[in-house]
Amino acid sequence: MCGVRGIRSVDDMITAEGLTKRFGEKTAVDRLDFTVHPGRVTGFLGPNGAGKSTTMRMVVGLDRPSAGSVTVNGRRYAEHRAPLHEVGALLDAKAVHTGRTAENHLLAMAATHGIGRQRVREVIELTGLESVARKRVGGFSLGMGQRLGIAAALLGDPATLILDEPVNGLDPEGVLWVRRLVRNLAAEGRTIFLSSHLMSEMALTADHLIVLGKGRIITDAPVADVIAGGTRSRVNVRSPHASRLADLLAGPDVTVMRADSGVLEVTGLEASAIGDLAARHSVAIHELTPKNASLEEAYMALTADAVEYRTEALR
Amino acid sequence: MTTITPTTAGSDQLDRPSTRLSFAGVLRSEWIKLRTLRSTVWSYLFVILLTLGMALVMSLTIANGMGGGVDVQGVSGPAATELFVQSSVFGVFLAQLVVAVLGVLVVTGEYSTGMIRSTLAAVPTRLPALAAKAAVLFVATFIVGLISTVGAFFVSTAVYSGYGLSASIADSAVFLPLLGAALYLSLLAVFSLGVGAMVRSSAGGIGIVLALILVVPVVLQMIPADWAQSVVPYLLSDAGTSMFAPAGMTGGDSMTTWQSLLIVLGWVAASSTGAAMLLAKRDA
Repeated sequence: MCGVRGIRSVDDMITAEGLTKRFGEKTAVDRLDFTVHPGRVTGFLGPNGAGKSTTMRMVVGLDRPSAGSVTVNGRRYAEHRAPLHEVGALLDAKAVHTGRTAENHLLAMAATHGIGRQRVREVIELTGLESVARKRVGGFSLGMGQRLGIAAALLGDPATLILDEPVNGLDPEGVLWVRRLVRNLAAEGRTIFLSSHLMSEMALTADHLIVLGKGRIITDAPVADVIAGGTRSRVNVRSPHASRLADLLAGPDVTVMRADSGVLEVTGLEASAIGDLAARHSVAIHELTPKNASLEEAYMALTADAVEYRTEALR
Repeated sequence: MTTITPTTAGSDQLDRPSTRLSFAGVLRSEWIKLRTLRSTVWSYLFVILLTLGMALVMSLTIANGMGGGVDVQGVSGPAATELFVQSSVFGVFLAQLVVAVLGVLVVTGEYSTGMIRSTLAAVPTRLPALAAKAAVLFVATFIVGLISTVGAFFVSTAVYSGYGLSASIADSAVFLPLLGAALYLSLLAVFSLGVGAMVRSSAGGIGIVLALILVVPVVLQMIPADWAQSVVPYLLSDAGTSMFAPAGMTGGDSMTTWQSLLIVLGWVAASSTGAAMLLAKRDA
């Protein structure tokens, strides 16, 4: 791996307190409190415009918070003596001058911290850019741009990595590569903060999820919990005696919703259990359809109305 | 999902990379950035070729008596020296446009491509990045300016020597204007950098500096009021060209070279201060 430097101390973390960013009237990021811990991949999930990028830009001081604060390893990013060794950030794949070659871009970035040519070669090899390193970035595909952005983020061999939509524009092989890379980096004890608007990608890469909607945190939980919470299976039941059946199905962990006339949406019971119950009470059933909510559906449900969910989550 | 097991054990817990952010490093970074863009290389080559070319045209014109019918035969002393200076710095009047555009592009190019975010993430205190940009641009432009004007002097010498005229570059009446022209170009580049950093747009920045050099002086001279005429010497390009051009070329301004230099420095200070304040305050 890219010049492993051993386990990081436990305070290698990102901490946001009341972090807020307003653009004029619009509140893009609204009083966020969260901590991103080392040794695991923390996914930052939310629809486009939820405030993910703005939050990440505030971590590295590109945007000034309107209120609150965010620190990396106990200090504001700009207060570190060697910022690139603390945090490597891929915030915008095309944050590179198009007229310069990839290698010269990395050399210029490295020079600010006195990082040598050897390390530049290492990150070029690590990201598989050898063949295009001497080419100007203007001709790069989105995928190559992402690789260059990741190479730049790794230059300082940082304890913390912030990657905003790193798999955007990558081919399947590239997606797999990013997934393995961040898993390895986390296994080395680094703090990884990774954003995406794709739940499916997060399910494969992240250990922990912070879900953002309309600038607020909806969920901050281990990825397994989020998936379990969002994918309870649902059964559609059609019956001429829907009301009676609904009464029979009622129970502590069971939710019954009436869709249109004669159709019930049941959550918390298997289709077989519903069928058995109906048979025992001689209630005719015309349809019994299990509906498995996909991850994407769970996520859509989670972010569909951020404010409403927020009140529920607070209970 | 996966259990996390650190892959390396912990005796080297504090083994953080030993290098750190320094102003010397930022200077080196900005130097790499400046020299690795083709636009910089082309602009500087253009400045040199323009100055040398204009020196050739100007000295041939003067030597052949077409520039107002001066008979160069028999001219000597200060009058001869002035002819040399006149042809050597003539191209600077055009080169200043190239340098102004380059100064704007050095920073607006970073905004238009998104590079500025990489720059400011590496130098989150921000002002050192701007200062290093200005320093590198100043030195590079000064050297290119000096190569241009000294080269132009030797081109003029090659032409004039055929007509029996001579001047020495060791003469302060020669080398001071050549230095002054290079200094003006480099200060103009830094001024333009500040404008670019304030407006953050290539088109806007170039528009402003070119208008200031080309349009504003003409407009002021057309205004039939005394105040308009008295403002002209304080304009960036008028004060700047007074730093090196013989009185005959600039319309006989009353400013001394040193006064002109102070005025130019004032312009540079205003633009740099504005750029620094906005850079420190704004989101990148």
